[in-house]
Amino acid sequence: MLRVDSLALAYGATPVLEGASLEVPSGRFVSLVGPSGSGKSSLLRAIIGLQKPLSGAIETDIAAGEIGMLFQDDALLPWRTAEQNVALGLRLKGVATGTAIASARQWITRLGLYGLSERFPRELSGGQRKRVALAQVLAREPQLILMDEPFASLDAIVRARVTQDLVRLVELRGISVLLVTHDLEEALALSDVVYLLSQGPRARISGRYDVPLPRPRDVMKARIHADFAPLLQRLWNDLSREVGERAA
Amino acid sequence: MSPKAAWLRQAVAFIALIGVWEACADAGYLNPLYMPAPSNVAAALFQLFAQGTIWPHLIATFSAALGGLAVGLVIGTALGATAALTPLVGELLAPVMIALNAVPRVVLAPLFVIWFGIGIGSKVALSFILVAVLIFFTVFTGIREVDRRLVERVVTLGGGRGALLREVYGPSVVAWILGNLKVAVGFAFTGAVVGEFVAATKGLGYLLSFAQSSYNAALMLALVLLIMAFVLALFGLTGWLERRLLRWRG
Ligand SMILES: Nc1ncnc2c1ncn2[C@@H]1O[C@H](COP(=O)(O)OP(=O)(O)O)[C@@H](O)[C@H]1O
Ligand SMILES: [Mg+2]
Repeated sequence: MLRVDSLALAYGATPVLEGASLEVPSGRFVSLVGPSGSGKSSLLRAIIGLQKPLSGAIETDIAAGEIGMLFQDDALLPWRTAEQNVALGLRLKGVATGTAIASARQWITRLGLYGLSERFPRELSGGQRKRVALAQVLAREPQLILMDEPFASLDAIVRARVTQDLVRLVELRGISVLLVTHDLEEALALSDVVYLLSQGPRARISGRYDVPLPRPRDVMKARIHADFAPLLQRLWNDLSREVGERAA
Repeated sequence: MSPKAAWLRQAVAFIALIGVWEACADAGYLNPLYMPAPSNVAAALFQLFAQGTIWPHLIATFSAALGGLAVGLVIGTALGATAALTPLVGELLAPVMIALNAVPRVVLAPLFVIWFGIGIGSKVALSFILVAVLIFFTVFTGIREVDRRLVERVVTLGGGRGALLREVYGPSVVAWILGNLKVAVGFAFTGAVVGEFVAATKGLGYLLSFAQSSYNAALMLALVLLIMAFVLALFGLTGWLERRLLRWRG
C-alpha cells in the first residue's frame, strides 16, 4: 500500500504540486495521467525520496528496497554492459555476483534482448536501453514499481508484450504498480484505477476513475470491452478541459 | 584525396623539408652555428648512443619524470577526490590549488633546488607539482560534474557511499584521468627537463644546458628530437591504455 496525502512540492520559488493525493493499494495497477509539465515525474521522485516535499505525507508499508523505480530517461552506467547494469540492481540488494549475472541474463532474454547482454549502453538503441532499465527493476522483484512513461520508446509488439507481462505480474504475484503515462488508452487497459493530475502550476488530482474491466486481463482485448470506450471518452474530455483551461 | 594516404603525404613533405634544409646547409646558406645541417644533427645523435654517454642522462630524466608522474597522479587524485567529496577540505584546498595553477609552475624550479638539492629530488618535485595540480583539477571538477542521474539510479537501487565510489565516481574519474594522461606525461617531462636545466649534474636538461654553454646547436637539436621521440612513444602507450580501458566509450 502506498498513500500520498495532500502533497505540495516546489522547485525553489516555482510551485509544482499542491494538495496532490492518491492511493495505490497492494496488488493493484494504478496509473497517473495529466498534462505534460504538470508534475507527474516530480511526484514519483518525491515518493522514492529524491525530492523533498514542502508539505503533505507519503505513507507506505513497503520497505525502501522493495520499491522499484523506472525513470523517464534511460540513463544506465555507460561503463557497464547491459548484463552488468541489470546485475548491479541485484548486487546492491545483496545477491551474490554469480547469481546476479545469471538472473540478469534471464531477464534480458525475457525482455527480448537476447544476444545483447555484452553490449555497452552506447551500443544499444533507445528502446533497447529502456528494456535494460526495465530488466534492472523487474529482476529485483520489487513489491511496488513506479514507472515514468516507460513504454514510449518501445515498438507496438514489444510494448504489448511487456505491458501484458507486467499486468500478469500484478495479477499473479500481487505486486503494485504506479504508472505515469500520457497514453490514456494504455492507462485504462492496464489499470484498476486512473488518476488525473490537473494542469500545473499547483497541480492536484482532479479526477479518479475506477476501471471496472475484469481480471485477469488481456491488455489488447480490454480495449474492445463495452465499458472501455465511454470511460476513455470521459477521461479524454476531462484531460482536454485541463489542458484547454490554461491554454485559453 | 584518400585519408589513408595522409601519412604518406606527410612523410614525403617531411623528407622534402629535410632535403631542402640539408641542401641549403651544404650550399652555405645557413650558418652552422645557428642552424646545423640535418646530417650534423643526426651525427650528434648517433654519437650520443655510440659512445654510450646518453644512458645515464636518459635514465636520470626518465626516473625523475616517471617518478613525478606517478606521485602526481596518486596525490592529485587523492586530493581532488577528497576535496570534491568533503566540503571542508574542498573549501581549504581549492584556493591553494587555484593559486598554484595561476603561476607557471616551472618558476618554482630554483626554489626546489634550494629545498631538495641539486639531485633527482628537485626534478621529481617539479614534475610532481606540474602533474598533481593538473590531476587535482581533473578529478575535482570531474567528480563535481558527475552525471547526477547515475548517482540517483545507484542510490535508488539501494547503493551507499561505497557503491557510489565503485560504480559511479571511480569509473568517471578513471575516464577523466585517462583523458588528461597525455597532458600529464608532457608535464612530467617538462618538469624533469626544466629542473635539470636549472641545476643538475646529469639528465637531458643538463645536457641541453651544456650544449647551450658550448654553443653546440647540433647537440641541442639532437636532444630535442630525442625528448620528442620518447614523449611520443609514451603518448602511444597512453593511447593504447585509453582504448583498452575506455572501450565503453567507443
Ligand atoms: N529540477 C528541476 N528544477 C526546476 N524545475 C523543474 C525541475 N524538474 C522539473 N521542473 C519543473 O517542474 C514542473 C513539473 O515537471 P515534471 O514533474 O517533470 O512534469 P511531468 O513529468 O508531468 O511532465 C515543470 O514545470 C518543470 O519545468
Ligand atoms: Mg515527466
